[in-house]
Amino acid sequence: MAQVFKRWIPAAVAGVVVAGVAAAVPLAANADPGLPSKTPQEVVALAANSSVTAFSGTVEQTSDLGLPSLPGGVGSGSSGSGSSGSGAGGSGDAASDAASSALELLTGTHTARVFVDGPDNLRLQVLDQLAERDVIRQGDSLWLYDSQKQTALHATATGTGSSAPDALPTAPGETATPEQVASKLLSALDPSTDVSVGGDVTVAGRSAYDLVLTPQATDTLVGAVSIAVDSETGLPLRVEVTAKGAGDPAFTTSFSQLTLAKPSSDLFSFTPPEGTAVTEKSVDVAAAADRAAAARAAHASGAAAASGAGDATGSDSTGSDAAHRPVVTGSGWSSIVELPAGSDSAALTSSPLLSQLTTAVDGGRVLSTSLLNVFVTDDGRVFAGAVPAGSLEAAATASAAATPVAPAPSE
Amino acid sequence: MSRSDAEGAAAASAGRQTNAPVPVPLTPARGAGAGAGRPSAGWALMASELSVLFRRKRTVVMLLALALIPVLVAVAVRVSSAGSSGRGPAFIGQISENGLFVALVALTICIPLFLPLTVGVVAGDTIAGEASLGTLRYLLVSPVGRVRLLVVKFVAAVAFCLAATLVVVVAGVLIGAALFRVGPVTLLSGDTIGVGDSLLRALLIAGYVTVSLLGLSAIGLFISTLTDVPVGAMAATVVISIVAQVLDSLDQLSWLHPWLFSHYWLSFADLLRQPIEWSSFGSNALLQLGYVVVFGALAYGRFASKDVLS
Repeated sequence: MAQVFKRWIPAAVAGVVVAGVAAAVPLAANADPGLPSKTPQEVVALAANSSVTAFSGTVEQTSDLGLPSLPGGVGSGSSGSGSSGSGAGGSGDAASDAASSALELLTGTHTARVFVDGPDNLRLQVLDQLAERDVIRQGDSLWLYDSQKQTALHATATGTGSSAPDALPTAPGETATPEQVASKLLSALDPSTDVSVGGDVTVAGRSAYDLVLTPQATDTLVGAVSIAVDSETGLPLRVEVTAKGAGDPAFTTSFSQLTLAKPSSDLFSFTPPEGTAVTEKSVDVAAAADRAAAARAAHASGAAAASGAGDATGSDSTGSDAAHRPVVTGSGWSSIVELPAGSDSAALTSSPLLSQLTTAVDGGRVLSTSLLNVFVTDDGRVFAGAVPAGSLEAAATASAAATPVAPAPSE
Repeated sequence: MSRSDAEGAAAASAGRQTNAPVPVPLTPARGAGAGAGRPSAGWALMASELSVLFRRKRTVVMLLALALIPVLVAVAVRVSSAGSSGRGPAFIGQISENGLFVALVALTICIPLFLPLTVGVVAGDTIAGEASLGTLRYLLVSPVGRVRLLVVKFVAAVAFCLAATLVVVVAGVLIGAALFRVGPVTLLSGDTIGVGDSLLRALLIAGYVTVSLLGLSAIGLFISTLTDVPVGAMAATVVISIVAQVLDSLDQLSWLHPWLFSHYWLSFADLLRQPIEWSSFGSNALLQLGYVVVFGALAYGRFASKDVLS
């Protein structure tokens, strides 16, 4: 019997070893690096003076906003069938694409590779299963490539101005890299935010300071934002946004792997492959800068998700007339973005997926998540912000009162 | 002839004469000890195992069936010529522009069901098949150590994984080249690489898929040691592969996903990015290694301690 027992020893050992390795590796990765302590101001300065201009890395973005997870491919599937239709419905397709990609942002996990070389060269690859979406920016030229739909969009900045590259969107609505989100958050720091330094953390194998931003405002859904700032270079490595009263972050974007080397320059030159439907588009710098400013203001409200939605809808409104510009009311964490009625909001209201996720309230429908609320009024205006739904409804009422041109729904 | 050999032979002949199941004794079999002096015996066994496996009609039929899938895909696309409707498996729209994509589409179709099915049949048959035919005893008294037999059986199953994957890829490339034009291949990232480069990547993908199937082979080997009914072991292995994939598609179990042997099966596409994303290759290899170690040890525990009655 002892003989028989002995033969099972390797099985037991193998199980223990495999379990041990699996448990030990993450522990080792999270070991306290023991950095010299710094004040919050020093860490903010470290991040602001970050000297990193070229790097390549992998970014993981996770959203857990309390929405039901969508089965894989629902969004892309519906948009895929849409894009196969005739070109006549192009704008409607684009709008519903934008809606579904905004929705995609609010659920699940995305992995992206980022290659950056200076301010002008960027390549972002969103790694989907058996597919990929690419953003390639080189100077004033920007390509968006979707391998599944075999489409490419080529945007070139028109007009002059040093801010031309900034006017181009740098990321599709779905993914925001830690350093993009962090720079927007840090540039909008104001006294309404309590800044402190948490314990040292390790992200992507690098030791980092954990900068914790806690909004003082009571009327925001954001509980805390934690930014891991690389101790050597000041590059933000991770951003976590936690909803008020929640334990786990509702939104995380984090480097899982990072190399501070100049990426190969081939990566930034893009020629659309044969068989790709290419859309050419020129971006008016002035109008785009306005939109970018509004988007930045929205980012500053702390809900990176909110502005993602704003970007996704805003980036498709080629008409740059003033009526379609987003309006920001309020300030800081509790600011509210208003999109006037238009084709963009029509996509939001007409999407069957969205209408399932929203709940009807007096005067419209509300998409409610732990970090962000979106209120779509019956007349098509969209209000979004990291604030309770009640504040959005109040803002909608106030906005309707201020602009009597928009007919109020008859009661 | 060593003493243990004589004992084993005696036990076997006793079994034949009385026509009653006589357990192959655990201790005197010492095949590992006896065989260790003759390493050539292991290679001879490996060679005979491989030739038995690949000359078996069932194996040939399974490989032919796998080769049929790229052929069907290519012919269907060629005949319909309806263009891409935006539906169907990934890459199918690219076939009409580049025949090399037939191999990828076929692999994408085979990975969830057909490859696990055939691998399950081979891996589930390893020990249980010998047991059901009554040849297991003779193998063990020949003498072959139980460890050695287990290793040989596992290697043969791995060889089948490689053969099955290569059959799909090679058949796909050949039929694609026959029916469609072949040219530079567009990667997922939108970059284009030459034909030679893309054939290299196709081989890399075949390697990736083979590695992906190692864990399932080890599971099949272990299940095969549990029973004398090969069909049961095959079915159980296939069912496990399907259950793993179902679990992998449930978002509520996302904590479990990195531990499922099927989790990285479709990540072979990471080899089609520019630059190649190696991390999934590494994670996949590590995961499969873990499965091989655990289930290999379990199979050893079971096989080395069980009474071989048939």
